[in-house]
Amino acid sequence: MVRFKNRYVLCEVVSEDPRCRQCIEDRALGLAVRDAIARVHGDYGLACCSISFTVKYLNAYTGTVLLRCRKDSYRLLCSALPFVRSLESRAQRYPCFLNTLHVGGTIRTCQKFLIQYNRTQLLRLLQNCTNEEERQSVQKSLLSCSLTEEQSQSGDEEEDD
Amino acid sequence: QNILTVCFSVGYSVVALNHVIDFKEKKQEIIKPVSPSELFPSLPIVQGTSKRIKVLTRLTLVVSDPSHCNLLRSTSANIRLYDIIAVFPKTEKLFHIACTTLDVDLVCINVTEKLPFYFRRPPVNMAIDRGIYFELLYTPAIKDSTMRRYTISNAISLMQICKGKNVVVSSAAERPLELRGPYDVANLGLLFGLSEGEAKAAVSTNCRAAMLHGETRKSACGVVYTVKKPRQAEEEETAVPACKKVKTQ
Repeated sequence: MVRFKNRYVLCEVVSEDPRCRQCIEDRALGLAVRDAIARVHGDYGLACCSISFTVKYLNAYTGTVLLRCRKDSYRLLCSALPFVRSLESRAQRYPCFLNTLHVGGTIRTCQKFLIQYNRTQLLRLLQNCTNEEERQSVQKSLLSCSLTEEQSQSGDEEEDD
Repeated sequence: QNILTVCFSVGYSVVALNHVIDFKEKKQEIIKPVSPSELFPSLPIVQGTSKRIKVLTRLTLVVSDPSHCNLLRSTSANIRLYDIIAVFPKTEKLFHIACTTLDVDLVCINVTEKLPFYFRRPPVNMAIDRGIYFELLYTPAIKDSTMRRYTISNAISLMQICKGKNVVVSSAAERPLELRGPYDVANLGLLFGLSEGEAKAAVSTNCRAAMLHGETRKSACGVVYTVKKPRQAEEEETAVPACKKVKTQ
């Protein structure tokens, strides 16, 4: 079968500043990642990786990012991701780092992984819950996590951190 | 303390806190390590499993003179309190001594400047046999571009000699934002010339083996090797040092 094979890299934006998460945009993130690749792998690396490079999915509440690149150059991308130091948006620079969670061949596998990951994160939040109401709402969202066919990005329960 | 919380949220299960001793001053006392229970009243649980996170203490000696090594043989009680001992040799002779005779767990490889000496195969092979691991830091690479070049060139020259065995990649993070997750650090290992499996091992199994090496150094002073006699009905367990045991998770 002749088709273009892609790799989808699932990352999480970790930052100390709570304002950083609200201002994540896909263009700013794409620029930051490209900049990191250019610094590490130079012009050749940047050219290779940007053949089919896009930010496919971005969740500002949880800081989850899904990047796409070609299968031949995903190693260049993955090895340059630790060098992303800050995000720039609206003339403000926020220090942060990207934590790679999963690399998959299709969006569907990344989505399945993300659901499981969110479930474990919710469990952790449950342990740190102090308020009884919060606990109830977290438990309810835990029980209702699932992959359904109707919605496009279903099953990703979000929690306001 | 912030660094530790970020570590745990990213998914590390064992963290070691480093204390560097430099020998520029005349006399230096080795202070007692900070006990981890002072930092956290109750250690949080590792993501995904139900075990608590371990926090170890680690001592790094920056040696530029053979007389500094005597400190390791001294019977100072405080040295015993550290779980892992690392040495940072500055000259070729000290590198040779560290690999062959010194009683340490890790040998740090300098990443911040051009190495003053080249690696040679005999001491490196002896270190691999003894179960000593070579340590590379990755935080300077993230911060500065010239350091990045030195890190990569030193790391690749090490890989050419040791063939990727016995390498540990660690961070010397002073701030929580200089930390990277374990998957990312394994990807950094690819940049350093490790293969994919070796890079993952550099973060997981090699670190665990270095930890066990430290534990046996603290506890075991000799090896008891018992052989089953034909008359006896039961067989006694043998205690072999961790460097000869392959630890699989």
